[in-house]
Amino acid sequence: MRTSVARIVAAAALLAAVAACGTARRGVPIMGPIAHSDAGMHGKVLFMHNCNQCHPGGDAAVGPAINNKWIPDPVMKLQIRKGVLGSMPAFSDKELSDKDVDDILVYLNELRKKKAK
Amino acid sequence: MRACAVVASLLLSLCIGCYRVLPGAGGGRVKANPDRPINAADISVESGYAITPVAAGLTFPTGVTWDDQNRMYVVESGYSYGEVFTSPRLLRVEPDGNLTTIATGENNGPWNGVVFSRGAFYVAEGGSMDGGRLLRITPDGKIERVVDHIPSGGDHHVDGPIAAPDGTIYFSTGTMTNSGVVGDDDWRFGWLRRHADWHDVPCRDITLTGENFEIPDPRKEGGKATVTSGAFVPFGTPTTKGQVIKGSVPCSGGLFRIAAGGTAPELVAWGFRNPWGLAFGPDGKLYVTDNGYDQRGARPVWGAADWLWRVDPASPGTWYGWPDYSDGRSVTETRYKGNYRQPTRLLAEDPNPPQQPVALFGCHSSSNGIDFSRSDKFGHVGEAFVAQFGDQAPVTGKVLGAVGFKVVRVNVDNGVIEEFAINAGKKNGPASMLKSGGLERPLSVRFSPDGSALYIVDFGILMMSDKGAAPVKGTGVLWRVTRAGGEG
Repeated sequence: MRTSVARIVAAAALLAAVAACGTARRGVPIMGPIAHSDAGMHGKVLFMHNCNQCHPGGDAAVGPAINNKWIPDPVMKLQIRKGVLGSMPAFSDKELSDKDVDDILVYLNELRKKKAK
Repeated sequence: MRACAVVASLLLSLCIGCYRVLPGAGGGRVKANPDRPINAADISVESGYAITPVAAGLTFPTGVTWDDQNRMYVVESGYSYGEVFTSPRLLRVEPDGNLTTIATGENNGPWNGVVFSRGAFYVAEGGSMDGGRLLRITPDGKIERVVDHIPSGGDHHVDGPIAAPDGTIYFSTGTMTNSGVVGDDDWRFGWLRRHADWHDVPCRDITLTGENFEIPDPRKEGGKATVTSGAFVPFGTPTTKGQVIKGSVPCSGGLFRIAAGGTAPELVAWGFRNPWGLAFGPDGKLYVTDNGYDQRGARPVWGAADWLWRVDPASPGTWYGWPDYSDGRSVTETRYKGNYRQPTRLLAEDPNPPQQPVALFGCHSSSNGIDFSRSDKFGHVGEAFVAQFGDQAPVTGKVLGAVGFKVVRVNVDNGVIEEFAINAGKKNGPASMLKSGGLERPLSVRFSPDGSALYIVDFGILMMSDKGAAPVKGTGVLWRVTRAGGEG
């Protein structure tokens, strides 16, 4: 019972933390161009073909915004591989290799860290 | 390590059902000020570019073109979602921004775009009342029907047109329905009340799986009556396995061309859903923007992108996937289920292998007008610029944030999409939502004849609610983007 209460409290705190993380906008007119690493650029192309429709430019659409939330890479990888029931599809290693997923995360982290110009 | 696992699982469990739990958003869910303020300073454009308003007070504008004397013209559609009918018009925009009426059309809008070619204007007439047409309008305002009786006027309409250098006119048709089946959502759109016999028409003969759907019958009071209905047939008509639906041209979801001076349309490609924007790329191929499925009606499809297709006009006849593919994937994949019934196939066999889009725009972004930059006077030569009209949530489906309401540019070699002109501020959305004077609903883009300026046709305010669309007349704007310090 104490463990369940602790988990509920932690969940509420996490929800509050992820909900208030600033603007999700990272577009060129707002932030200026971003100089991506080679891995980040590869990840960007993959993102555009696999993720952009639900998270356009990392902002919200049918999926939530991801630019303005700090989510650890292992959790992001888990979500990419397992999906989320009824909303996000799972991407197998046949669709996205481990290197592909790593590069997408490099892209997202480079995007997330970009400060306004 | 154990603590990390607990945290990770908590985060994941938080996200499970995020979409279901979080409230719906959307850029049209506002109470807009009908006296739309206009302030270019409220728009962020890529560094090195400037944007200015050129004309305002337009009612539902959809396209811009220039005649052979470089005089500028716009069309007002004469129809908006929300079943608002006005007069479709072709207008000349004078140098001082005043408007001169050149032609007024019949009550059969929307007029979805215009092009000037070989001494006349060509206009796509959407057909909400009497079916779609391609019109030819002379400079003195005489209107003639080049193509008539196009199966259009349902959820989507006749679109385009553009002209090839040899004078061939290309135009397209959107589908009557969301995903092949006439449903109660089409009653709410309005057209099913006028035309109970309208349905999608394939461009080639197709064989059905015979999938039928139990659909609420909005014609009967009480809300309990239902009908059984299949695909590519009128509302309330069941289909059978192996049933063949004859194709014809023109048809639903097709791309067509007419030789200069001709009247018989030739099929170029089909299997689109709402192929709104057409433009030739530097490679000679035809690029088509196509709105993806909505989450509504008898056969909702969840999470479908809007697409950019590359079509080879030298190889006509290719099928692009509607109604059984999205994003180059079968709609039978579980990713397209969402909280609805899993979509199943309507066609017994694919006319050809599925095509892959060049780029995937945001779901419900309504990515429409397209043109390519061709001049160093503007820059980004070879990139496609696309106007995103913006989401129409909640009617088209739930979104967690406003989608679209901007102009983007696309590298058609790798599919990377970058924002180009967006409203300033911390959130994305139309000016009415942000309480600013910026972009409302960019619908079309076109480069000036000398390539130095990008013109953005901004439809104006279209509010959305559970009751449907509510447009505001007289709020359309024509914007011009040039290199900073340029005159365009």
